[in-house]
Amino acid sequence: MITNHSMRDGKRENPRVNLRAYRDGLHLIITPNLPIEDVSNAIYETLAHMNQPLAGVSVQIDITPPALTKENLDSLRVKLEETYNLQVSGIDFPKGALQGGSSTAFSWESNPPLNKKTERSKIVRKTVRSGQTESFPEGNLIIYGNVNPGGEVSAGRDIIVLGSLRGVAHAGMNGRLSSVIVAMNLVPLQLQIGNYITRPIVGQKPQGYPEIARIGPQDVITVEALVTA
Amino acid sequence: MGKVIVVTSGKGGVGKTTSTANLGTALSLLGNMVAIVDADIGLRNLDVVMGLESRVVYTSMDVIDGRCELERALVRDKRVDGLVLLAASQKNSKDDIQPRQMKSICSRLSENYDFVLVDSPAGIENGFRNAAAGAQEGLIVTTPDVSAIRDADRITGLLQHMEIEPLNLVLNRLSPEMVRRGTMVSQKDVLSVLSLDLIGVVPEDKGVIASTNRGIPLVHTKNSEAAQAYMRIAKRLIGHQIPIPEFREKNFFSSLLQRFSRVK
Repeated sequence: MITNHSMRDGKRENPRVNLRAYRDGLHLIITPNLPIEDVSNAIYETLAHMNQPLAGVSVQIDITPPALTKENLDSLRVKLEETYNLQVSGIDFPKGALQGGSSTAFSWESNPPLNKKTERSKIVRKTVRSGQTESFPEGNLIIYGNVNPGGEVSAGRDIIVLGSLRGVAHAGMNGRLSSVIVAMNLVPLQLQIGNYITRPIVGQKPQGYPEIARIGPQDVITVEALVTA
Repeated sequence: MGKVIVVTSGKGGVGKTTSTANLGTALSLLGNMVAIVDADIGLRNLDVVMGLESRVVYTSMDVIDGRCELERALVRDKRVDGLVLLAASQKNSKDDIQPRQMKSICSRLSENYDFVLVDSPAGIENGFRNAAAGAQEGLIVTTPDVSAIRDADRITGLLQHMEIEPLNLVLNRLSPEMVRRGTMVSQKDVLSVLSLDLIGVVPEDKGVIASTNRGIPLVHTKNSEAAQAYMRIAKRLIGHQIPIPEFREKNFFSSLLQRFSRVK
């Protein structure tokens, strides 16, 4: 029901591991379906080409599903801390991404704040009309109104629309793949989470209940009814 | 001081000029002093729709350049008293005029006229900005199709940014039959996207083209549903509370019924 296109931006980057600096710190973004050896080598290649020493800097690991096992992640964390003297501040992945993960159901715990001090939200108290944009790279974006066709909203973390989302929404614009998009009425032109893009089938009728879009275990953006446990 | 109202839509061909001509005529038929201003410089049309093309001597450009007084440039309507037209120059372009000049013309007109209707050109560039510069209120014209609605939404955002309020919506060319078949966006869906106050719905009417070609605004025609719709919008503009009727498809019985009610 949903077509997905994975898209990488054209920057000169290691294809397997990207080290990116965002406002909340350094992120190490790991491509899925890689053996742990390849990840280690890719990390070495990435870090070896750094001009500045990174010792003592904290990094956040972002991982896309389906991914490494828990043991792999633990050994990766140890390696980063011991070999490169980095401090791993957190590992961020959509729930169900970890192989052997117990549940694929959405829960708010799988989307922990990166850093409670920097977790911020912006509230927009109007309808975002065609040609208008609202962006908040630093955190969550909450819209008290609609996002009309031709309007665009983007956020570093989650996007919540307390109305109809009929335009384009881009959550996790800095690459944070555990970001979600929630709308009371989700009939978008296009959804983006990190570098994942999806467009719903043409002529889809509104469901009449709130829905949530996130990156699911099948490595595509999935849309389902918003049910909080 | 009268009201300056900009008639705009973003998209072309949805009926801005037709609406300006008909609402201007309807408002003056209701006893108001009305000035209609063509802001579509370089592509003037309002004089043609009003049937005043041959009477235009001076344009707003002549007023701005000081070649004539504002009062002399106004063309009196040949059918209704208290209705004047300020034509646009056909020789100039939209960049030859500044928003503050347009604003000055509108505010001078509003001293002597109850309503100043400014017919905006299509688009969101200088032409639109000039047209909206002097306005206190906006009439947004849209047709029930997605591209017109998209553009109306865009223009609404721009007008709100310019703090032009209130903004009212005219839903033009609604065809009840096409809505029923699902090939046209319904009135409810238009309003749910635009979230504007609806001031009137004008049904699709073939008479519009005929009246444009003859240079006689439709409101002069009797028995036209679109003309009646424009009259109702004019009445709502002067503060009458008139409900918006639901347009039904014409079938044999309803037209029969209509004929009877007319006889009565």
